[in-house]
Amino acid sequence: MVEILIAAFLILMLIGVPVAFALALAAFAAVGLGGHYPLVVVVKEMFTGLDSFPLLAVPFFILAAEIMSTGAISAMLLRFASQFVGHLRGGLGYANVLTSTLFAGISGSALADAAGPGAMMVRMMEKGGYDRAYAGALTIATSVVGPIIPPSITMIIYALQDRNVSVGSLFMAGILPGLLISLVMAGVNWWISRKRGYRSAEARPHLRQMVRNTVAALPALALVVLIVGGIRGGVFTPTEASVIAVGYAIVVSAVIYRGFTLRDLWGAFWRAGIMSVAVLMILAAARAFAWVLIIEGVPQAMADAVIAMNLSPIAFLLMVNLLLLVFGMFMDPLPGVMILVPILAPIAHSLGIAADHFAIVVIVNLTFGLMTPPVGGLIFVVASATRQRPSELIRELPPFFVAAIAALLILTFVPALSTWLPGISGFAR
Amino acid sequence: MRRIERAFVILNGTAVIAGLALMAVVVGWNVAARYLWAGALPWADEVARYTMIWLTFLGSGLALREGAHVAIANAQEALPGPAQRGLRWLILLILFFFFAFMVWVGIDYMNRMAIQKSAALRLPMKWVYAAMPTGFALMILHLALVAPRYLRAGFQATEQATDEALRG
Repeated sequence: MVEILIAAFLILMLIGVPVAFALALAAFAAVGLGGHYPLVVVVKEMFTGLDSFPLLAVPFFILAAEIMSTGAISAMLLRFASQFVGHLRGGLGYANVLTSTLFAGISGSALADAAGPGAMMVRMMEKGGYDRAYAGALTIATSVVGPIIPPSITMIIYALQDRNVSVGSLFMAGILPGLLISLVMAGVNWWISRKRGYRSAEARPHLRQMVRNTVAALPALALVVLIVGGIRGGVFTPTEASVIAVGYAIVVSAVIYRGFTLRDLWGAFWRAGIMSVAVLMILAAARAFAWVLIIEGVPQAMADAVIAMNLSPIAFLLMVNLLLLVFGMFMDPLPGVMILVPILAPIAHSLGIAADHFAIVVIVNLTFGLMTPPVGGLIFVVASATRQRPSELIRELPPFFVAAIAALLILTFVPALSTWLPGISGFAR
Repeated sequence: MRRIERAFVILNGTAVIAGLALMAVVVGWNVAARYLWAGALPWADEVARYTMIWLTFLGSGLALREGAHVAIANAQEALPGPAQRGLRWLILLILFFFFAFMVWVGIDYMNRMAIQKSAALRLPMKWVYAAMPTGFALMILHLALVAPRYLRAGFQATEQATDEALRG
């Protein structure tokens, strides 16, 4: 059954059947040809995958990010960010990194990061004398922090798969790794800007202007504090936090920043609806796919095989990194989490790896998969938003791949980066 | 014909938006209710979850049109013209077969669960599970409408076609 499952999935996906349908078709093929179960079990698993209250946070966080990126908030965050770094060599590049990092505190998805402020940044950088392809590649690389810094859709799905973590602890665990990723991407910008002689953008603004920009940015920046603080304080659950984020986004966009019309709201709902549907459909199908793997005892067999190899925790983590890097090139983070976490997390647990640490290694690794060809969601979003060919962007990406791998190695070897914040904030168990 | 298609897309989109809005209002109401007037609705949880299920299937055809369902197009793009068209035909056939199959198996599942009722609303679960055959029937329609464009240039082209249809 497992052979049919994997073979059918790979063939269907590689010829170009949308991944969600390839997953479901493979599950049906495996169950149908295996002959032990009726076909409707696949349908049942798809419904079970969708029928979940915590999952509601996914469409709500997508919606909140869409509303926030429609309004003037992106522009305002950009102004706030560039006042600190705009006067440096490669200043607009740093502004890009910083804006993405700040926007990650509003959005839980890398694609929203790239489509919202990212596209705007590329236009700005191009006007400032940067190569368009480089500006696009930088945007791809900096958008990765969207689901690492809270809120995060990937973390919500992860917490549904592994009982040893909670959404709250993962949100906390992601903060430092997210900042680390931004830092290494800023490092690439430093190096490239020196090499190509990119100049600074503007003089540092007057102190009064800086204070004004900061005050203007505060309502948007407060969202992440509200979400993480509210969950930590037990005021609301992560799902409730997501719907509060929607309300907050509407109020802030319409009342505080103005210029947000009913038409904008309609557009945000439309795009968020479509994006949510695509995510939910792939999750439903991945659930059925994972069910076949579990019922066939794949997690147990894998666990036995890995434990028989007598690996040290570090060797296991390095192996997981390698596996996920390859896996992530072809698979989106969300189905990746659905399918791999039930297999890998128990092994990590039995090796004594901290659950939050392992989660961060998996999530960061799969998210980097969004910037690698052939299936790099971020490459396609940025290419279509900035009207250039994916191949031009891919040519500029190698330095960012090196930086990404460096960040992954640091996160693998230094568990404290992932476990320290959940620990001191009282989330860890 | 184009006007009918446009109306169809807008109607479908409106249903998705209405579902999303209903979910947000129901869950939001319950958070507010717990703190402000202490009377949370016991059925809010069910309404939100079942709306999400309906939303997923109802919106899927629209997502297909807008190229939102991720697919690997590399193999297609690497092929020469006629082989490329042949591969797209094959994918179309697979998708039509899959969607029709989902309608059938979805109805089967619905009937098997006919006596089941939800815990809070006492809603027959049949009406929740009906989302799947309904949604996949809609997907057949959407796919048929965009099939010529898909054959010519893949799902990227169907996205443009949808945008054009919306602009009218």
